Amino acid sequence: MDPSEVEFLAEKETVKIIPNFSLDKIFLIGGDLGPFNPGLPVDVPVWLALNLKQRQKCRVIPPDWMEVEKLEEMRDLERKEDTFTPVPSPYYMELTKLLLNHASDNIPKADKIRTLVKDIWDTRIAKLRLSADSFISQQEAHAKLDNLTLMEINTVRAFLLDSLNCMYKLRSNLQPSSSKGLIDY
Amino acid sequence: MSDALSDDGSDINQDDSQEDVIMTPAELIAKLEEAWLNEKFSPELLENKSEVVECVMEQLTHMEDNLQRVKKGDAKASVHRMEIDRIRFMLSSYLRSRLQKIEKFFPHVLEREKSRGEGDPSLLSPEEFAFAKEYYANTETYLKAVALKRMPPNLQTVDMLKAVPEPCLDSFVFLRVKERQDNILVEPETDDQREYVVDLEEGSQHLMRYRTIAPLVSSGAVQLI
Repeated sequence: MDPSEVEFLAEKETVKIIPNFSLDKIFLIGGDLGPFNPGLPVDVPVWLALNLKQRQKCRVIPPDWMEVEKLEEMRDLERKEDTFTPVPSPYYMELTKLLLNHASDNIPKADKIRTLVKDIWDTRIAKLRLSADSFISQQEAHAKLDNLTLMEINTVRAFLLDSLNCMYKLRSNLQPSSSKGLIDY
Repeated sequence: MSDALSDDGSDINQDDSQEDVIMTPAELIAKLEEAWLNEKFSPELLENKSEVVECVMEQLTHMEDNLQRVKKGDAKASVHRMEIDRIRFMLSSYLRSRLQKIEKFFPHVLEREKSRGEGDPSLLSPEEFAFAKEYYANTETYLKAVALKRMPPNLQTVDMLKAVPEPCLDSFVFLRVKERQDNILVEPETDDQREYVVDLEEGSQHLMRYRTIAPLVSSGAVQLI
């Protein structure tokens, strides 16, 4: 899956905005939005929030977890634990990136948040590499991946699945009885 | 909904009208997203969801007709257009990934279609079936024209079923559990390992072989991610 497609899915998440215009309820196929009143916060999907922001029609309120202290706590916990800790949003990385790239003026301490989220991401990816390595070397057939987000899975997907397939083919070629289906490639 | 479909897949039209009553457009879009991701990540071609595709198309056309009547520069219209574009992207990505799989596994897809029993739900939509048949014929003609007719007479036929690799059902997939499943058998990787069972709890995520959980994907109990 392309990372941009994961971002596409992340854009479905809702975020609070403060509009500076007024508009009645919008009846979208995926649900109703609004009504919009200047100064009153309203929940909208991220794709709409970013569009309105780009047209300077709203202020974005960052999600609760996008705050220096909470992220610092998370980073420390993530470094302390050997397993993956629960993340505040299944799309934390994508949302941070989208909101910081397009609405950084509405988010206090944007640079600090960017660094913290990157730290958390790096720690988690390092753990993920370690567990992928032990998964392969111990030739496991099943793994539980709780608390992993789609973007994290997606970064190891192509490489991990291809190597597992290759190893499977190599192994089944060793056992002549099960080599069916691997001929004529 | 999936139960109604698997029980009575032969009568799609009837299901269709029932669904209109019980499903909100938002749920319909969620269904499309589910089908899209499953199709993207499963190694084999899944059952076609033509009723979902049709309903989504209907919604899109309906919305576009409405937008035609709105005057230019309406703030709401642009929001609606954006939503339509997003849904359309998902829809075409879904259909495209199905076509890619048909191109990749066409003899096997057609073979499965041929061997399915009367009344079983069809794997392909009528359009996809026509595409697969045409693709098969064209590939065969091409192979003949380019190489086969210059071969010795005893080598002039090619068995497509053997020439084109089968989908590898043993590949690993990532999945999220939507309905709790007990006692899923995990086969050992090597001879010196023992097989064992796992319980898939609702909301948990796993990495395992597609073959083990293939029925759960089509019943909608797990979602590939």
